[in-house]
Amino acid sequence: MPNNVTSKSSARWFSTSATKGQQLFRRSGVGGQLISLIIVMGIFAIGTKGKYLYWANLQVILSLAAIPAIIAIGLHQVVVLGGIDLSVEGVVALCVVFVGFLAHNKFNSNDVGLWIIPITVGIGGLAGVINGLLNTKLRIPSFISTLGMSWVLWGLAVFVSKGQTTPLLDSPLRGFVNGYVLGIPDLALVAIVLFMIIQIIQDGTRFGRYLYAIGGDEVLAAQAGVKIDRTKIIVFGIAGLFYGLSALFLAVELDSAQAITGNNLLFPAVTAVAVGGVALTGGIGGAKNAALGALIVTALNDGLILLNVNPYAQEAVNGFVLVAAVALTIDRKKLGFIK
Amino acid sequence: MTAKEPVLELRRITKSYPGVVALNAVDFAVYENEIVGLVGENGAGKSTLMKILIGLIQPDEGSYTLRGEPIGFRDPASATRFGVGMVFQDGSLVPNLSIMENLFLCHEMGFRRFGFLSKRAMREAAYSVLAAVKVSSDLDIPIADTTPAVRQMVEIARLLWLSKLYKQKNPILILDEPTTVLTESERETLFSILGEIKSQASIVLISHRLQEIVENSDRIVILKDGKNVTELAAEHVSISSIENMMVGHSFEADRYREDEQVEPGKETVLRVQKLRKRGAFEAIDFSVRRREIVSLVGLVGSGKEAVCRCIAGLDKPDGGSINLGGKKLPAGSPSEAVHSGLGHIPIDRRSEGLALGMTVAENVNLLVLDRLKVAGFISPAREKKNAMRCIEECRIKSPSSSTMCANLSGGNQQKTVIAKWLSSQIQLLVLDHPTRGVDVGAKEEIYKLIRKLAHDGIGMIIMCDTLEEDIGLCSRMLILRDGRLVREINCPPYNKPGPSDIIGSIV
Repeated sequence: MPNNVTSKSSARWFSTSATKGQQLFRRSGVGGQLISLIIVMGIFAIGTKGKYLYWANLQVILSLAAIPAIIAIGLHQVVVLGGIDLSVEGVVALCVVFVGFLAHNKFNSNDVGLWIIPITVGIGGLAGVINGLLNTKLRIPSFISTLGMSWVLWGLAVFVSKGQTTPLLDSPLRGFVNGYVLGIPDLALVAIVLFMIIQIIQDGTRFGRYLYAIGGDEVLAAQAGVKIDRTKIIVFGIAGLFYGLSALFLAVELDSAQAITGNNLLFPAVTAVAVGGVALTGGIGGAKNAALGALIVTALNDGLILLNVNPYAQEAVNGFVLVAAVALTIDRKKLGFIK
Repeated sequence: MTAKEPVLELRRITKSYPGVVALNAVDFAVYENEIVGLVGENGAGKSTLMKILIGLIQPDEGSYTLRGEPIGFRDPASATRFGVGMVFQDGSLVPNLSIMENLFLCHEMGFRRFGFLSKRAMREAAYSVLAAVKVSSDLDIPIADTTPAVRQMVEIARLLWLSKLYKQKNPILILDEPTTVLTESERETLFSILGEIKSQASIVLISHRLQEIVENSDRIVILKDGKNVTELAAEHVSISSIENMMVGHSFEADRYREDEQVEPGKETVLRVQKLRKRGAFEAIDFSVRRREIVSLVGLVGSGKEAVCRCIAGLDKPDGGSINLGGKKLPAGSPSEAVHSGLGHIPIDRRSEGLALGMTVAENVNLLVLDRLKVAGFISPAREKKNAMRCIEECRIKSPSSSTMCANLSGGNQQKTVIAKWLSSQIQLLVLDHPTRGVDVGAKEEIYKLIRKLAHDGIGMIIMCDTLEEDIGLCSRMLILRDGRLVREINCPPYNKPGPSDIIGSIV
């Protein structure tokens, strides 16, 4: 070893500090998403001559964004793991049918009162745990296991309810679901609280750390000692809890329970996750991305409605936004190939 | 060796895989505060032995004693709790997590305040832990954005910190080929840091660079064919004597097979005219004939790598033309280059040269599938026949033609890459450091293959690990300095220039 003293003092390892661009798109960065939200809102504000920014319209956006946001906050953690959860619609359908059966309704004499909250959320959570078990213990890719689950649960829901619509009678939750606090819709507040809880867990706990470690590289995470299966099952379970809660809110909002309430919930949620900047390759993006994504997607659709855009054209726009969001958020150069 | 008790002792470890005995009754011990060099050819069993050490695989037979107690690890995570950890060649840090998050991953208990992780406590600990390995860096950078040197040091720091956390005296760090990804100055720093760490830990050093093993270890253990050959004190050992023990037979005086060097043909295969790329190299002209091996020599930054990348179509030059067999190659198109008969053996065979998840047969047949067709479909029989011929010709040591390339040793992977080009009809082959990370025995076989390629009429452009290798292999040498071609030297067999004649033109 040549001259130990000099090599000691000059022996400094270093790495370059992160560039501005890297900082912006770091794991939970939302800079790009905030800018796109402002642009979307700006365009519509001009297009509607300011009508878009009326408080009444902003309230509409918040209340419409609440359910997609809650679902997206549950779903995005599965995406962060590197998987996908396509079971939303089936889980919601089954939960809604249970609401119709157990809450005070027109067809039977059941009335569990407020117990309907833990029951519905619990059924959703249970479905999520089954998703997790299929993925970890039977080692079925989440894409297939959750897609299959969605149809199983949907079929079960229609079968059990015989395809009927069950009107609910004076639900104790009706006031809450349709209410406001300081002008902000209650459901939006629920979404905000859930987003904050999940965000804090992601930033500040070991569970959060493991979530991102698995998303980054499952094999290396396992080598470091991360409990892969447990973390995955919990993540799928949490997603299920959120779907169950959404199902309850939807049933109360519609004042009736029917299996088709679950329809058309998956696409907006996946779009929200992608638009929010959660990388479909896993390991990048957090609750704030999912929540913000839901807000962007809802703000966009609300604006299109205000501008009287043809509903079919609206759907096409949404599809375009999903693909464009993925194109913009994934650093595809690093992927090498696309499956 | 010493009267002291070893910290860690493996006795009569045996591990076999279908068709191969990877380890056969191997003994291995590590003593306090020492650096043990572990050497052996690719496939000698070094990696298997180390994987057993950290619990990644379980031995079939044998005993494992740590600090006097018999022990067996289920997985690497439990080994780290006992102060035994390995720094892998490919790194074992999670790429999307930051330096700090990786340091403490899975062992964050001590940083919890009211159930949440205290960023401040982690930050403070991270700074002091990293200071020990001389890393000063933004702790929030994702590992994917750091240099290999930093990653390596973070891994070492993590293992040292873990041993303190679990109160394990004298941890054992295993470094697998740590210097292959480092620059010269980083290498020096690594060894000066290892010298400091030695006062509180033991280090197992695996390397193909015997020079650094001899310079830095206290003791050298040599494995061959899954058996112990010998162990010796590192002082007063000559590299050639270690090489002899590794390979088991002395080198032929002529390592580079000068007797097989063929006279270049008359036809020009490749003609490069006024090729230039801003910031890399200025207008350069040269040509390669059939059966000719042209070596590009120069320091890092001389532009030789960029020239090769432009020829292979991986980079787009700013101007000039490349003619292959009389046809002009379109700039910046690797697939066109391959179609026109240009092969490229990249420096990073793992990510560019081979499909690791495919079998040996699939890899060597990849470019000749058209020739293996019967009535429009690929014939499995022909496929197998061609693969077996390649395996035999190139001496690929593989249990069968349907073995996954990921399971081959580095040298055999490289031979597979060469076999792939050999079986397709190429006119020119660009070899980017073909013997990088390959052991002595496999090197010799690669030299033989290169001679065979030349004999078959292929022209070659080569960049080697050492100047000696360049001189030994090539028929003509082009020296580049600061992006300009400064000298051209003929290297006929038995009349080659010495390194000292050339070095002046390089620097």
